[in-house]
Amino acid sequence: MSVTLERSLRAFWIVLMVFLYAPLAVVVFFSFNAINSSARFAGFSLRWYERLFSNEAILSALANTAVLATTSTLLGVAIGLLLGYGLYRYRHRRLAWLIWLIYLPVIMPDIVFGLSEMTFFVTLDQRFGVLSPGLGTMVIAHVTFQVPFVALLVHARLLSLDPQLFEACHDLYASPWQRARFFILPVLTPAIVASLLLALTLSIDDFVISFFTAGPDSTTLPIYIWSAIKKGVTPEVNAIATLMIVGVFLVALSSLLLQRRPDPSDPS
Amino acid sequence: MLKSARDSLHLLAIVAPGALFIVVFLVLPSLYLMGMAFTSTGPSGLPALPFSLQAFRELAGFGFLGWSPGNLYTLLRSVWQTFLATALVILLAYPAAYYIASRPTRWRPLLLLAVVVPSWTNQVIRSVGWMNLFAPGTPISDFAVLIGLTEPRMGLFPSQFAVIVGLVYNFLPFMVLPLYAAFERLDHAQVEAARDLFASPLAVFRHAVFPQTLPGLMAGTVLVAIPAFGMYVVTELLGGGKATMIGNLVARQFADATNWPLGAAGAILMILATVGGLWVLRRLGRRLGGDREVVL
Repeated sequence: MSVTLERSLRAFWIVLMVFLYAPLAVVVFFSFNAINSSARFAGFSLRWYERLFSNEAILSALANTAVLATTSTLLGVAIGLLLGYGLYRYRHRRLAWLIWLIYLPVIMPDIVFGLSEMTFFVTLDQRFGVLSPGLGTMVIAHVTFQVPFVALLVHARLLSLDPQLFEACHDLYASPWQRARFFILPVLTPAIVASLLLALTLSIDDFVISFFTAGPDSTTLPIYIWSAIKKGVTPEVNAIATLMIVGVFLVALSSLLLQRRPDPSDPS
Repeated sequence: MLKSARDSLHLLAIVAPGALFIVVFLVLPSLYLMGMAFTSTGPSGLPALPFSLQAFRELAGFGFLGWSPGNLYTLLRSVWQTFLATALVILLAYPAAYYIASRPTRWRPLLLLAVVVPSWTNQVIRSVGWMNLFAPGTPISDFAVLIGLTEPRMGLFPSQFAVIVGLVYNFLPFMVLPLYAAFERLDHAQVEAARDLFASPLAVFRHAVFPQTLPGLMAGTVLVAIPAFGMYVVTELLGGGKATMIGNLVARQFADATNWPLGAAGAILMILATVGGLWVLRRLGRRLGGDREVVL
């Protein structure tokens, strides 16, 4: 590679990193501002954090966010794992309908997805009094968009395995249970870890679908920020956003540590 | 029991939870929503009988006061802003992906993570970041005033510019990842051969690099353009009323300007546009790639 190209690439990379991290850094920086402004820094202060931790509504939004992310991730990965395995195990059957079904949530525009579920849940609630919008409907909605991604990831991992390994299990007279316990689950561990991370980040990243399936008592942090902006009251917004940014960086750090563990068989 | 019958039961048992979830909580609700488009609008804006095509007429711009081009402009703006954002994302992602792929192997996961991590934060938070940077009185806004981009004492948002920046920021990682995968598998012999034949750098890229990264580019374009077209959050927070896209038009029918059938008709339009976009990209990929298989 020529020296000029290498230099300009390096400069480009630095500019790109500034572009990617400046918006987040600004949020963190101004969350410690003594005044409510992102134009002038009037001194270091923790007042927004004090207000945040004494605000019941924000604390319950924090709890809702955590419950929604963990519940939907565990459910989504369990269901997606089964679906991905079924897709692989019976790949010789005609499963085109199933593949279409799996791709549907992936290509459906978020807003159409969210509005469909909102009208559906609202109607069910009015007609039959079931599934009234709240944390339950939000978990359902999140699981629905997590399942396909997990299934595709697990399926890809299984396809990268040597099919003879399955025959080897058979030759060794492994019962279906033993095959699952001693072969399938161990080889799928990296894929399951990756699925957990993916499902978790999908859930944390989503706003639109949560927003339209939420009920009055199931406000999450992003929804709280959204309505604060819409009402024009924004004092604690940067502090709340900082909490979520720190959370995401902790997830990123743990994923890096997991990746650093040597695993030569991991295709991802 | 017959083996094939037992297999079918087994298949059904492991596939059913996932398939049912998608059918019950996505297929049925979206069919329900689409059905709403064919009803009349009741007095409170909710769907009512009889069935009619009124919602589609309204969506096309025919109202009490004759035809107005507002909705058509929104659709055209959605396509234009999606195109612009995707093009910018491609321009940024090519050097970024190449840079990562040309580093030593042990650094690559860290560099990829550096690109991806911002997209793990919530969409709303990323937009709040840009609202902070583009607010009136910030250095960036002051600079924009200085070079005459905005009026004095005004911020850089709400504006179409802010929306494009927000879209590029949101979707850049989705282009970098597949392009990086393509660069990692790049056959360098082809590049060397082109160099040996005294091809100009542009010709090397055009004939030796571009065709090899095309599958990644097409996959990335799908991952960027499809969700960008349906964007709601960025346009709402950074665009105000100035860069409204079709997603905002649809959502508004279920919120302040209640008209569910009109919103449902808009949702059908969005689904058709998405499927049409996928089809066009697929054709384009085949044409550009010749007989090479382009994974979509």
